[in-house]
Amino acid sequence: MFDQVEAFCRPASVPEALRLLQRGKGQARIVAGGTDLVVAGGDSVRVLIDITRAGLNYIRRKPPGLAIGSTTTLAELEESSLLQKFAGGILPRASATCGSIANRNLATVGGNLANGSPAADMATPLLVLDAQAVVAEPRRRRKVSLAAYLTGAAANQWQKSILVELIVPDPPGGRHCGWSFQKLGRTAVDISLVNVAAGLGLDSKGRVKWVRIALGAVSPAAMRAAAAEERMVGRALDSALIDEAAEEASREIQPISDVRASADYRRQMSAVLTARALKECAAQAGGSK
Amino acid sequence: MKTMLLCLTVNGKPQAWSIAPGDLLLDVLRREGYFGVKRGCETGECGACAVLVDGKPINSCLMFAAQAEGREILTIEGLAQDGRLAPLQEAFLDHGAVQCGFCTGGMILSAKALLDRHPHPTEEQVREALAGHLCRCTGYKKPVEAVLAAAGGKEAER
Repeated sequence: MFDQVEAFCRPASVPEALRLLQRGKGQARIVAGGTDLVVAGGDSVRVLIDITRAGLNYIRRKPPGLAIGSTTTLAELEESSLLQKFAGGILPRASATCGSIANRNLATVGGNLANGSPAADMATPLLVLDAQAVVAEPRRRRKVSLAAYLTGAAANQWQKSILVELIVPDPPGGRHCGWSFQKLGRTAVDISLVNVAAGLGLDSKGRVKWVRIALGAVSPAAMRAAAAEERMVGRALDSALIDEAAEEASREIQPISDVRASADYRRQMSAVLTARALKECAAQAGGSK
Repeated sequence: MKTMLLCLTVNGKPQAWSIAPGDLLLDVLRREGYFGVKRGCETGECGACAVLVDGKPINSCLMFAAQAEGREILTIEGLAQDGRLAPLQEAFLDHGAVQCGFCTGGMILSAKALLDRHPHPTEEQVREALAGHLCRCTGYKKPVEAVLAAAGGKEAER
């Protein structure tokens, strides 16, 4: 599968990794956890660049928020006490659903996003956290919104750069807020048919102060449900509003039919999971169910 | 063909092997005679090729061998000590959790990693630890019972 590989490089820094990538002239591939790359295969790959020893494995406070290095494994996200206390623990909760433990010990958060899969489970919780992606290029580092990064990754636009860090700003605080991550797969270790992350905050009168909803595996890249969010802000949170928002979200997506599910089923389940996520958020925020 | 040197520890013994840069850990381990590491799906779905790397289970079909540089690998061959089976291995035999045996090595290694961290796991934790291991013979009841018995935690759980 990787029979043509002539060199396996283990750069100790990002600049070194970028130099190797440039020198590889399109025949070099970045390796982190390898769980997607190995399955995809690489008959034309000549150089493998392992970035797991390039100093990108960390989760730390970076006020006003957190910084997560791109080669941090999904298992490490799951076990991080810092993340368990952050935004209702939705990042560990999502990472715990990404395949088996053996795969989560290898797979990295950066790889999950850089692979460009619409079903990446880490994309939706990071989208509702308004995360930014830090992308290293030969002569500069760029910060882009995660939404823009994901769209680019789906279109294979980041070939000459390396995703090095995710910046996750502190979410809006207050006692009356809640977070949720919901996923539908065939089995406990399956890829998402649909996944939904949500967060919301209520004002003292039980009206929606802010809300963020993201859906995965139902459009070319994971996306925020902007129209559904807009419908909710300023209105009293009750089950009718949740149903209305869930319906709106299911109209915003562009699901496809594939071997796992039909577009129609994905659309229906998007509404179900969005409602479930919002109900859980509401329960945590102390709003009516 | 280009080769490179891979230095690692397997079942407590330091090794230095010549590998191809694109080799997968599964292929290298089997080439070196560790046949307890089974070749199953080769896509990270079945867990038959699982080994412990620095104490953590990984599917060796998804890891480039070169990534194991400097790491400590444990395969199922390394579990018995001085010809005596480890308690988990005994428990799998006692509970009828072994039939064809193809999935057994990976299952026991994942169970070992769990018990090393959580000596008295709940049934749910055991089920999660074994979730990445497909078995086509015994199913999943007996292996779970075996792990709980090895942990001595079954009664406590009830």
